[in-house]
Amino acid sequence: MKFLSIALKDLKELIRDKRGLIFILFFPLLLIVVFGFAFGGMGQSNQQYNLAIVNYDEPATLPTSNETTNYGDNLTQLLKDVTYQGNSSAHMFNVTTMSESEADSLLKNRKIDAVLIIPANYSRSVVALINNTIQTTSNPLSSVNTSPVTSTLIIRGDTGYINFGTSQGILVGVLSEYQDKIETSTQNMVKGTPGASSIQYISYDVQPMAGTKNFTNFDFLAPGIMVFAILMLATTVAANLTREVEQGTLARLKLSKMTGFDLLFGGMLPWSLIVVAQVLILFIVAVAVGFNWQGGLNSIVLAIFAGIIGGIASIALGMIIAAFAKNDRQASNLGILVTVPISFLVGAFFQLPNLVVWGFQFNDFLPWTHTLNALRATLIYGGGWDAISSQIAASALLTVILFIIGLILFSKSRLSVDN
Amino acid sequence: MTDYIIETQNITKKFNGFTAVDGLSLQINRGEVFGFLGPNGAGKTTSIKMMVGLLKPTSGQVKIDGQDMRKLDKGIIGVCPQELVLWDNLTCAESLKLMGDMYQVPKAITEERVKKLLDDLFLTDKADTLVKNLSGGMKRRLNLALGLVHHPQIVVLDEPSEGLDPQSRRVLWEYIRSLRDDEGKTVILTTHLMDEADRLSDRVAIIDHGKLLRLDTPDNLKKEIGEGDIVEITLSDSEKISEVTEALKEIEDVLSVFEADGKVNLRGLNVISKLPQILENLEKNSINVADISMRHNTLEDVFIYLTGTSLRE
Repeated sequence: MKFLSIALKDLKELIRDKRGLIFILFFPLLLIVVFGFAFGGMGQSNQQYNLAIVNYDEPATLPTSNETTNYGDNLTQLLKDVTYQGNSSAHMFNVTTMSESEADSLLKNRKIDAVLIIPANYSRSVVALINNTIQTTSNPLSSVNTSPVTSTLIIRGDTGYINFGTSQGILVGVLSEYQDKIETSTQNMVKGTPGASSIQYISYDVQPMAGTKNFTNFDFLAPGIMVFAILMLATTVAANLTREVEQGTLARLKLSKMTGFDLLFGGMLPWSLIVVAQVLILFIVAVAVGFNWQGGLNSIVLAIFAGIIGGIASIALGMIIAAFAKNDRQASNLGILVTVPISFLVGAFFQLPNLVVWGFQFNDFLPWTHTLNALRATLIYGGGWDAISSQIAASALLTVILFIIGLILFSKSRLSVDN
Repeated sequence: MTDYIIETQNITKKFNGFTAVDGLSLQINRGEVFGFLGPNGAGKTTSIKMMVGLLKPTSGQVKIDGQDMRKLDKGIIGVCPQELVLWDNLTCAESLKLMGDMYQVPKAITEERVKKLLDDLFLTDKADTLVKNLSGGMKRRLNLALGLVHHPQIVVLDEPSEGLDPQSRRVLWEYIRSLRDDEGKTVILTTHLMDEADRLSDRVAIIDHGKLLRLDTPDNLKKEIGEGDIVEITLSDSEKISEVTEALKEIEDVLSVFEADGKVNLRGLNVISKLPQILENLEKNSINVADISMRHNTLEDVFIYLTGTSLRE
């Protein structure tokens, strides 16, 4: 188990070089803090997002009042009226109703930021929700609804577009608040709470949404910055490995029975711990500078998992860079030369036009693309394991491939007998 | 089992047209201290690297214990490189244990060897000290120990005394002798210190421009360029060195006269009886002598005689 001895050696070296360790762990923080302040909405006016609504909803009748209502129209009006917290004149959305094909066309040209598609059975599902709430409030023991009607509202948009990220974040918040309000108002009506009425609570008693005041571009950018910080780790790994070459300690190890796998896999283990620490610190700082994410603690756990796989991919990239650099300065320069373009290719800051290779988009071959997709899916869109598992799998597979390439290149250039 | 533990067969190494080692053929006996001498850039380190398997020869073959280098069990050779090759943030004991693990030495045996090596090289007190906090001499000794922890049959020491004070050097010399005498190891020693090579080596190879110039025992080498003594004359007027060198060559039984380190170096048999004649010759030519000294012929004289006095960088 020579790789374990190498892992232990590298871990001791990393921990004992305190200055180096602080730099490795805290350098990415600088990025987060700078971007947090730059895009975190400090003094920034609340932006209005262009929202298209495609309303397929058919009216439904409330059994309590026999009144027929189109709750899709109701929701549309609510979205038109919703304003930012603390600024009642600043509307969150510029709402236009249109057909689905028209909306898709505008979406492609980024003339609108998001499309909300209200399904035909939306009103029926709202009525079912109200009935169910009435039933469970008046008779708490009968909690099962005999005829549940569920409807799915679709929020459609370009996930690589920052405005979609922000507007869908607000939308999810508004829609969830809307449903909560229906339930609360129905319960109040059944219990006879003063002020509650059967119709008004469903319509649009618009209140500023808590939390939306701070929903900023930074929230959409944060996963990209995290991926950039994770990518930068490749530079540090490359510089460390090259230092081993420069100091001659690699030649000493090369004379022994150590294999390339022992050196690189052993080296990967302590670096993986660094990745875990780095990802955790990144999250803590991101939240401290105002990062709002969806999905609660579950999203954070999933995001850390995705981040760790991305970090391991960066370690593998560092090995590839170290196979070509002659000294640690060269490794750092080469590292920056490689990681910065990759960060743009994967869309960490903004999406570049995609190159198509063998029918695939080029950036699909980069593990960090999938890391970023997973981070965005869970942190911005509140997706769970099902939403990110395919991205995690792709990222892990590409990381293994990258590690094998790193192993072959490093062994060939650094561990074979010199010519 | 062959008599030679290392045999190089006409090995040549070329770098972009420059020939660093040119058809080097030599045999190193089992259990001897083999001195490898040559000026800077003579090809010593390149030759050593080919012998230990760090560098592929452009042509020729290296055999270790009768086997081709490429089929070699890596544990057979231990190397103490010229530079300090250490992990600054590991302790002495951790560094040694790491190398033990890398050579797949069983843990218990490694522990035992680490203890002995630290003891033999006067590092026991520093076992748990980080390498970066050791003195230069201690680092040198650890550098050596790291090449020995796996108990190699062949130990390659590339300028091991570089930068050591006389006390540390003597500790090292004793240790090198014990490697040969007590443990039966073959030691290949490259050094710039002629005194060191003379005292420690059973045989010495002198190479220059990548070629083997001489290979023999230190005594035979000294005999080869003439038994006898060396007279070194420092002139008041150093510009007259060439003139004096030419004049002294005329004296009978003088074997060689040349300039070395700003002095006239005269070698000959029974030089003490020639001293009056030498001084007379200088006086006749109106040469003032600032200093004159006499000593026995050394390996350094052989080295300078064979490789010349011009600087090699």
